[in-house]
Amino acid sequence: MTPLSITSRTLAAALGGYGLGALAAMALAVTLPVARDQAVIIGIMVAFLLCSGAAIWAFSARSAWRAWAGILAPSLLLAGLYLWGLPA
Amino acid sequence: MTMAPPLFLALALAYAGLTSLSLAMKRHHDQVMGRKLQPERVRYYRWPGWLLLALSLWVTLTVWPLGLALFMAVGLVAIAGLPLVFLLPYRARLAGRLAVALPVLAMLTWSTVALA
Amino acid sequence: MNKSFRQSMAWLHTWTGLLLGWLLVAIFITGTSAYFREEITLWMQPEVHDSTLQPGTVELAMAALNAKAPDAKSWDINLPGDRQTAVELRWQPAKQPENGGRRRGEQMLMDADSGEVVAPRATRGGNFFYRFHFELYGIDRLWARLLVCLATMFMLIAIISGVITHKKIFKDFFTFRPGKGQRSWLDAHNATAVLALPYHFMITYSGLLLFMTLIMPWGIDAAYENDRRAFFSEVFSRGEDAAQPGSPGQMVAVGPLIEQTETRFGKPVERIQITNPNRDNAQITLRVNRDPAVTDRQRGGDPTQVFQGNTGELIDTRIPANDPVSPGWRIYNFFTSVHMARFADPLTRWLFFLFGIAGSAMTVTGMLLWVSKRTQQLRRDQQPDRALKMVNGLNMASITGLMLAIAAYFLANRLLPATLAAREDREIQVFFIIWLVSLVHGLLRPNRHGWIEQVAAASLLWLAIPVVNIFTTASHLFTPLAWQHAAIASFDLVCLTLAALGGYTLWRLQRKPLPAKARRARAPRRANTASEQPAGESP
Repeated sequence: MTPLSITSRTLAAALGGYGLGALAAMALAVTLPVARDQAVIIGIMVAFLLCSGAAIWAFSARSAWRAWAGILAPSLLLAGLYLWGLPA
Repeated sequence: MTMAPPLFLALALAYAGLTSLSLAMKRHHDQVMGRKLQPERVRYYRWPGWLLLALSLWVTLTVWPLGLALFMAVGLVAIAGLPLVFLLPYRARLAGRLAVALPVLAMLTWSTVALA
Repeated sequence: MNKSFRQSMAWLHTWTGLLLGWLLVAIFITGTSAYFREEITLWMQPEVHDSTLQPGTVELAMAALNAKAPDAKSWDINLPGDRQTAVELRWQPAKQPENGGRRRGEQMLMDADSGEVVAPRATRGGNFFYRFHFELYGIDRLWARLLVCLATMFMLIAIISGVITHKKIFKDFFTFRPGKGQRSWLDAHNATAVLALPYHFMITYSGLLLFMTLIMPWGIDAAYENDRRAFFSEVFSRGEDAAQPGSPGQMVAVGPLIEQTETRFGKPVERIQITNPNRDNAQITLRVNRDPAVTDRQRGGDPTQVFQGNTGELIDTRIPANDPVSPGWRIYNFFTSVHMARFADPLTRWLFFLFGIAGSAMTVTGMLLWVSKRTQQLRRDQQPDRALKMVNGLNMASITGLMLAIAAYFLANRLLPATLAAREDREIQVFFIIWLVSLVHGLLRPNRHGWIEQVAAASLLWLAIPVVNIFTTASHLFTPLAWQHAAIASFDLVCLTLAALGGYTLWRLQRKPLPAKARRARAPRRANTASEQPAGESP
């Protein structure tokens, strides 16, 4: 891995991974069909697993581009889910 | 300290179970028994090993409620397994003998306490 | 599994592990000690050792509070149990000091036999390590917590990538090959990591959950329209505030109420709370210790009975095990309460302590493996470069150095004059000075000699603790008092065990000069002591 690729992947893991986790926490908090306090805690518990999963992915993907794509795509999906579930 | 005897038994059973599982592996069988492991004899060690671990879990279930018992049972595997791992290269025969002696000792302790 | 995937995971494991490894070693070791933080505090206050719960202790405690704060808003009485010998009395004064801070109230310790107030030497006790474990010391609390969270996240990533990297996780399950340098370190690291894997995962993941509102509040904001207060009151509400004080009135004797509660729950009452004491609307709350069944319940859920103060009438019986809890919160509660093990009885607490040692051993062997591997890759005539020396020195400071500093902290507790001004800060200064000295020493001598010297010093200091205790207290190992309260004797025994492990490590380090054939590396010899670092011995 080149230094540039490592830097890019590290950023993907840190920023992308955290963003993915945060979006998952938000999306699940507003869409899960359970009481909202429970939706919140489930969202948080999933979020931490996604953060670490994203880091694993960022360093295992074949290229830095794929690493970013693999994190940004589900992030967008979750962002959409969040906007859809937002209380009107 | 009414939970001490069952806990000791659970730990001893975990140790015996892990030792039995290690005896089902070539390297450790050689270490402990001093002879080669016949491939067809693997199951004589593997099944009892799992059975002993299951018994250890069963004993922890009498001490703790379900969730905690599961957690503590896998924790006891660590506490029993680490001495085994470090005994095998240095005192392999002792590691094997302990696997028999500890559960017996634990059951004697429990019955002594229960009768007293 | 394809090879490059495993290689990239090995790379990730190595570097996440190294980058915050020293911090993780310190977090693990101080966190392990925190399972016994109350016992450590007890040991560090020998003035309260000679105190045992008596049938009349509760009346003495009531009398002491009546003398000290008859018009307080509330009283709290913590009776002696497995973890403390004296009675802890707390009260909320009628007039709150206007300092805007948290209302912590006043506190004093009472001898359970005589009812006299005791003023032990000032010390932070085990709480110093407990706090250090998640907010370090001397840095802004928020940044320190964020740093610890980052280290925890790294740990979680290191655990996952480590499992993926491990080629023969089942085949090598019981494998330890001593005397083979890097190979031995790897075996020791694998054994401590894999055998205790469920514990490592639990402690790391729950560490993040405990800080969820700090690092992952976005779900709360989303569902509660940025009103975090609403979330907290919905989830963590601990009952309403006490009523305004009524008019002066008599209270019934507490003794019979305690008997009633103990019969109901079949356990001794450990905590007594009285709101609006000496008023006609006084309420007496009696709590027994929670049992492990409540690991999936809200934190702080002890079986409780509440009585009317002036009539002795039973108002409420709360059994948290019967509270309905939703599945999501059950999982959360299970993780966080197992992390802190507050429900644990002494025996279970010892098991958690051993789990913690396995965790410390995993981080320690990982750090040593890093150096060992790179030392073995050196050619025969090659000297270790600056980076390798620095890592080795930092390893020394974070492992043997921390053990030295902890021992020095305990010794300072016994040797500093009991009336010294700002005494608790002096103890902490001793801790950091010794740690700093070991860091400088480690960086100056990042080699086998440095290790030998630090291990020798640590063994001596740990051995010195019970010895100094004989000359400075009346509750050392040769007194019946120490054995009367198991926690006090156990502390000295743990010190002796650590000293013995240090001595054994030293013996292994000194013994067997380097084999002539092997290269002149230092690592292979250290390798034998994989499991024998004072901080990281398996039981």
